[in-house]
Amino acid sequence: MTQDPADSPAFDAKATHLIHDWAHDSKLLCCRVDPLGRFVFAGGIDYTIQRWEIATGNKTALIGHDNWVRTLAFSPDGSACFSGGYDGRLIAWEPAATKPVPVRVIDTKHGWLRDLAVSSDGQRLASVGNDRLVKVWSATDGSLLHEFAGHPQITYCVQFVPGAYDLVSGDVVGNIYHWRADTGQLERKFDGSAIHNMIGDIAPFGGIVNMAFSPDRKRLTACGLHKTSNAPAGNRRAVALSFDWNTGEKLPKQESLAKELDATMWRVQYHPSGIMLGVVEKEIGFWKDGQEELFHLVSSPSDIFDFDLHPNQVDYFTAHYDGHVRGWRCAIS
Amino acid sequence: MKNLIPRPCGSLEHAIARRQFMGDFMTGLGALAGTSLFSHPLGASQIAKQNKSVVVVFLDGGISQFESWDPKKDLETGGPFKAIPTTVPGIHISELLPHTASQMHHMALIRSISTDLDDHGLARNLVRSGRMTRSATEYPEIGATIAKGLQRSDFPLPGHIQTSPEGVGGRTNNAAYLGPQYASVVVGAEKGGIVHTQLPDGMSVTVDSRRHDWRRFANGRLKSKVQSAEIDAYTQSYEQALRLMERHELFDIGKEPESVQESYTKTEFGKQLLLARRLVEQEVPFIEVKWDGWDFHHNNFEFHLSYVNHHFDRPFAFFISDLAQRGLLDKTLVVVMTEFGRTPKINAGYGRDHYPKAWSIALAGCGIKHGAVIGSTDAKGIEVTDRKVDHRHLLHTYLRAVGVDSTGEFDVAGRKVPIADPAYGPIEELLA
Repeated sequence: MTQDPADSPAFDAKATHLIHDWAHDSKLLCCRVDPLGRFVFAGGIDYTIQRWEIATGNKTALIGHDNWVRTLAFSPDGSACFSGGYDGRLIAWEPAATKPVPVRVIDTKHGWLRDLAVSSDGQRLASVGNDRLVKVWSATDGSLLHEFAGHPQITYCVQFVPGAYDLVSGDVVGNIYHWRADTGQLERKFDGSAIHNMIGDIAPFGGIVNMAFSPDRKRLTACGLHKTSNAPAGNRRAVALSFDWNTGEKLPKQESLAKELDATMWRVQYHPSGIMLGVVEKEIGFWKDGQEELFHLVSSPSDIFDFDLHPNQVDYFTAHYDGHVRGWRCAIS
Repeated sequence: MKNLIPRPCGSLEHAIARRQFMGDFMTGLGALAGTSLFSHPLGASQIAKQNKSVVVVFLDGGISQFESWDPKKDLETGGPFKAIPTTVPGIHISELLPHTASQMHHMALIRSISTDLDDHGLARNLVRSGRMTRSATEYPEIGATIAKGLQRSDFPLPGHIQTSPEGVGGRTNNAAYLGPQYASVVVGAEKGGIVHTQLPDGMSVTVDSRRHDWRRFANGRLKSKVQSAEIDAYTQSYEQALRLMERHELFDIGKEPESVQESYTKTEFGKQLLLARRLVEQEVPFIEVKWDGWDFHHNNFEFHLSYVNHHFDRPFAFFISDLAQRGLLDKTLVVVMTEFGRTPKINAGYGRDHYPKAWSIALAGCGIKHGAVIGSTDAKGIEVTDRKVDHRHLLHTYLRAVGVDSTGEFDVAGRKVPIADPAYGPIEELLA
């Protein structure tokens, strides 16, 4: 059963501590908590999705992909889970089934499918990938509704504008595009090139890895990396770059300054209180609204590739390089 | 490309790069003074092998064998790229190389290379010279050895050329005791050919000729009193430069039809391959297309997607097909070389680290059995399971493929120095 946030202890980042530690035998790339708070799902490089029941820690494998499982998303009511992988497949699952099997499989033809998003009403899905396209699908029958072209390079991430069918998408060379759902037109461009590098004239590095809207919808935050001194060796710093959603004004970057870590901010997410959480190598960083430096950093035993907040608003779960999913509570137990 | 990419990892080799450069330079002069003047050309039997060429595409830093020539299905080590079939039934390579797969009937693979060194500089020297450098002896790189083995005495161009994206440089110090005439000359792949090949304004041909006459006179006079390899090197550099100036149009890739330039792709790598093909047409014995930066400790898969799929595959495949269509592949050995492979283990930065224990190269062209695959590795790509070979076998094989007797010797100041390690031999089953 989902936990009413009103019944939860107060969110306190500095009180964060480990509450769950579940192991899988393969590296995990992504994770999401279902909106009803029953399960955490994680996708791995062994082509599987693992589902842990949070109350018991029981693990169930979901089989259906033929390559790395890179992204997961849920319908807002928790009735459907969607996964996307480097096989280009978008698969719909019934998340609470005893033994989940693919309900629907869509060949998106993205090449690598890199990110998925579900609209606020649960009616639409958006996907992006190596073909540089943003594709919008019917969540009910899997039909292709729209296809938006314009990104000059690989498209990394996509989000629905909260409460709307409009979309924002980010690419590997730092472009963020705002698409109008009704016309399919490119409404606005945000310049995220500050978190993008080119290696020689050959390989883009960094770009818009992930995005999130702030709870008040006034701010769009993109994340990734910057301060690249030697990209192939991995010298870089995790960073978030925000824009005023209404004016497009670029806001100060947010990063870890006191403790410099070679990291990519694989995901950024806002707590309902407005505190921003982001991946910083083996740590999760916490930032207050508009402050450049984080105010707290929670360490873990292994590199984090993704995390997701639990609907109780005090727990979050992390997916790790060592194959573990870990659960954390940001409150005094 | 070549000059723009920083050295990827913080190895000792990179830290001492400048110091080593100065050391190399001085060592080279020393070696030159002691030996190269007395090196003898190879025997008459070798001369018959003239007009063959070797083109080495050196992917400096260490391309991943998993993301190129030896893809694996293993879920933990194989990575996200699949294997695809090629024009040779049964041979599969990475899906990052679809165009190259269409040329596999001109190619061969060696999947069982196992060496010991995982430092860039040491490993590079190992695979480029076919020998382990000893403290007292530096060995010539393959390019110098090939140039000495295949170059005609009247050949007007340098026998050992390294392409670069732009500009033109002097000779490098990679010929060891063979002497500077076999060291590589760096030439940029640019429209218009070699830069700075025109006389400056106000300088007539007559005046320029007088300048050179004066230089030759002064050199000759000094040499009559002092035997110095440095004078020889100096003299040779000038004379070589003059010959290059006379033939600068040979290096002008802008002379190629637009469609050909497009087919090679107008990337830095593609332009260098196009220049390499023009040099093969001129029967230059050894051409190296060197591409730095293949050292992906981090972000290995994204970088291989860019480097291999978006920038290597199409121009390389066209290069092979172009050589074949022009009848040049029958006299040209192409080697895609690197200094070591990458680890089966995928690290926490989605990277792969240095791995000399089991890795691969690709070859194409003359002297080899097309469609051959030498050796194999286990399902995870950790161990060589069949026909383990190393840099010593490879040097013998390259030489034999173009008709150079790898069991021969150089005469270095009266001392016999085997061309290749006499305790080893070529990969016979690969040779045509």
